[in-house]
Amino acid sequence: MFCLDTYLRESEDYIIHLNRAGFKDCAKFIEKEAKKVVYIPAGAKIVGARIIGIPPVPIGLDEEKGTIMLPYTKPCYGTAVVEIPVPKEEIDLIKSLEMK
Amino acid sequence: MKKALILLGCPESPSQTPLAVYATHKLTNMGFEVTLASTPSAMKLLEVSDPDGYYIKNKIDLESCLDTLKEGDYQLLIGFAHKDAAVSYFVTFYYILNTKSIALVFHRDAETLESFQETIKDNTEAEIVSARAYHNPTPIRVRLDRALKQLEEE
Repeated sequence: MFCLDTYLRESEDYIIHLNRAGFKDCAKFIEKEAKKVVYIPAGAKIVGARIIGIPPVPIGLDEEKGTIMLPYTKPCYGTAVVEIPVPKEEIDLIKSLEMK
Repeated sequence: MKKALILLGCPESPSQTPLAVYATHKLTNMGFEVTLASTPSAMKLLEVSDPDGYYIKNKIDLESCLDTLKEGDYQLLIGFAHKDAAVSYFVTFYYILNTKSIALVFHRDAETLESFQETIKDNTEAEIVSARAYHNPTPIRVRLDRALKQLEEE
């Protein structure tokens, strides 16, 4: 199973678009830059982690590249926007969590 | 026994640790079994503040807590919301637990404080206990006392 924390520790194949930012700025960035945006509830589990944020939490999808763009929050470091490659089933899971 | 979760954020704010010990003491006296969820560094401060575990009986790592948390685990959430990330964590825990919640919102900058208050007000039905404060825990402590008194009377 994909695990975000382990992935970010062990891989170099990711892009940090924003770092040490506020959640709102990260959400705006994803809404502006992502090819497609899906909104999920705060606390939803994707890529093996609970997503922290103010709902609806935007997740950017690029199905062609097979990547997602998500807000990644840590208590002392604020929120970052991280883009990572994920298996197709993770993209399907994110779509299934979309808030109506 | 009713269970309460106190959610701690980054320990950078000097008021957080004393307020966490204080809130634990008050809630224990109100009959709650209290658990504190925190980062490892915030936990170290708690451990040094209460070396014999006189006040703090249950502690859990924030990430482990988040991973397994579900609705019904706690009947009360009290969260420190003194940084942007702490506000996001509080709102997230609020939605997972879906229970009575109190946000302790404080910051030294009035504009930032107002923005944190607004975010919590616009996105939750949590009670907001707020004050412009940083080193001095008293303004928040006084307002927390009021909120807990009200909770006891409910």
